[in-house]
Amino acid sequence: MNMKFKTILTIFLIVSLIMVIVLVIGHQNISPEHVKVRIATTTSLYAAGLLDYLASKFREMYGHDAILAFMPLGSGEALRRAENGDACLVLVHAPSLEKEYISKGVLIDGHIFAYNYFVIVGPKEDPAGVSQSGNVLEAFRRIYLAGEVGKAKFISRGDRSGTHIRELMIWNLTGLNPRGKSWYIETGSGIGKTLLVADEFNAYTLSDVGTFLRFKGEGRIPNLVILYTNDSELINIYSVYLVNSCNGIERSIAEDFINFLVNNAQELIAKYGVDKYGQPLFYPAKDRIEELSKLWIKLVNKD
Amino acid sequence: MNEAFEITIRSICISGLATLLSLTASIPLAYYLSKGSKAAKILIPTFEALIGVPTVFIGLLLYMLLSIRGPLGFLRLLYTPYAIIIGESILIFPLITAILYRVMHSTWATYGELAVTLGASDEQALILMIKQALPGIIAAAIMGFSRAIGELGIALLVGGNIRGYTRVLTTAIALEVSKGSFEAALTLGLILIATVLSFSALSRIIERWYGL
Repeated sequence: MNMKFKTILTIFLIVSLIMVIVLVIGHQNISPEHVKVRIATTTSLYAAGLLDYLASKFREMYGHDAILAFMPLGSGEALRRAENGDACLVLVHAPSLEKEYISKGVLIDGHIFAYNYFVIVGPKEDPAGVSQSGNVLEAFRRIYLAGEVGKAKFISRGDRSGTHIRELMIWNLTGLNPRGKSWYIETGSGIGKTLLVADEFNAYTLSDVGTFLRFKGEGRIPNLVILYTNDSELINIYSVYLVNSCNGIERSIAEDFINFLVNNAQELIAKYGVDKYGQPLFYPAKDRIEELSKLWIKLVNKD
Repeated sequence: MNEAFEITIRSICISGLATLLSLTASIPLAYYLSKGSKAAKILIPTFEALIGVPTVFIGLLLYMLLSIRGPLGFLRLLYTPYAIIIGESILIFPLITAILYRVMHSTWATYGELAVTLGASDEQALILMIKQALPGIIAAAIMGFSRAIGELGIALLVGGNIRGYTRVLTTAIALEVSKGSFEAALTLGLILIATVLSFSALSRIIERWYGL
C-alpha cells in the first residue's frame, strides 16, 4: 500500500507538471515577444467570423506577429471594460453610448469602418401589418397596437447592447412605452438567442441584418422574415476607437489595426460573406463616410 | 477539429490545475476541521451552502479585483489562463472542502485518533489520513474538476474567450450558440461530457488498483 501511495503521488505530480508545461508553452505562443492587443468587440462582428478573417489579413499585410485578442461582448460591457482600462481597442455600434464615453475621455481616435442595417423581422403572416409601414416609427406603432389587442408579441434584447439601445431609441421617438406590457418580452440575451425566441413565439424583433441572414441561411429561424428596413433610419454604424489609457507597443499596433480597418480592410469587408449568403453581411464605410458621420451625429442627438 | 482538440487540452489543463490548487488548500483545512474543531460547525454548513454560488458572480468579483484599475491589477493576470485557474479554484473550494470533511471526519474517528494516541506527530497523522481517505479525496477531486470544467461565467469574465489563449470548452460552446452553429456547439458539449466521464472512469481504475 505504501508503494502504491507513492506511485499515485508521483503520477499526480507528473500530471500536474505536464499541465503546467502545456499551459506555459501555450502562453509562450503569445507572450513574451508576442504582444497581445486587447480588443473588446460587439458580438455581431465577431460571431460573423469577420474579425478573425481580418486579423489574419492584417498580420500578413503588416508583418506583425502580435495577437489580436478579440473579446466578444455586448457594446455596453465592451465600453465599460474600456473605461476600466481592460481593453485597448473597441469595436462597437451604439452611437449614443459611444458619445458618452468620448465625453468621459475614455475613447479617442474614432473611425466609422463599416455599416449595415437593422431590420424589423417577424412572422410571415405579419399580423401587425409592419410591411405596410411608411417609416420605422409607424412600424413600431403598428406592433404596439397589435400587441395591445393580443395579436402580436415583441422580443427585446434588454441587455444595453447596440441593438437594444437602438430599439429603445425608436420606442422613445414613438412616444409609446411598451415596458411591462405582457406582449413585450425581454430576453436579456444575445441577438442569436433573441432571434430564436422570436421564431418560437412567432413574434417581432429588431435585428442586425448580418446576424439575421446568417441564422436564416442556416435554417434556424424558418418563421421569420424581414418585414421592414430603411437605409437611413435603421442604419447600423460600426465604429472603432482607441482606448485612451492604452499605451506602449500595444497602442502602436492598435493604431496600425485602426489604419488597416479604415483602409485596406474596406474591400475585404465588402466581399465578406457574399459567396455564402448571397449578399455582404457588412458594407465598407469608406465611400459614404461623410453621410455616415452625419447619420451618426443624428443618432446621438435623437437619443 | 484541430482547434476543438486544442481547446479540450486547454480546458483539461486549466480545470485540472484549478482542482489541484484547490486541493492543496482544502486537504489541510479539512484535516484540521475533521479533528473535531468547533469552527467546523459553522464553516462546513457555510461551504455546503456556497456550493451553488453562481459562477458569473465569482467571475465578476475576480474581474473587479484583477482589472487594471482594480486592487490586483498590477499582477496583469486578467485575460490569462491563470486568472481562470484562480477563479475556478475559488469556485470549487467549498465543494471539495465539504466533501473532504465528510470523508476525513470518519477516517479520523477510525484511524487518526488512534495514531495520535500512539504518538504520531501532526504531519504523520495527516499523511496517514490522506492514505486512508485517498478514494474519497479522488472522488472530491473528480467532482471539483467536473464543476470547474463545466463552468462558464468565470472563464468568460476573467478569461475573455480569446481564441487560442483563453478559449475553453464552455466559452467555445457559448460562442458557437451565438453564431447559430448548434451542431458545433453540440459536438463540443459531447467532448466535454466524454472528458469528464473518462476522468471519472480513470479514477475508478486507480481506486481499484489501490485496493479499496
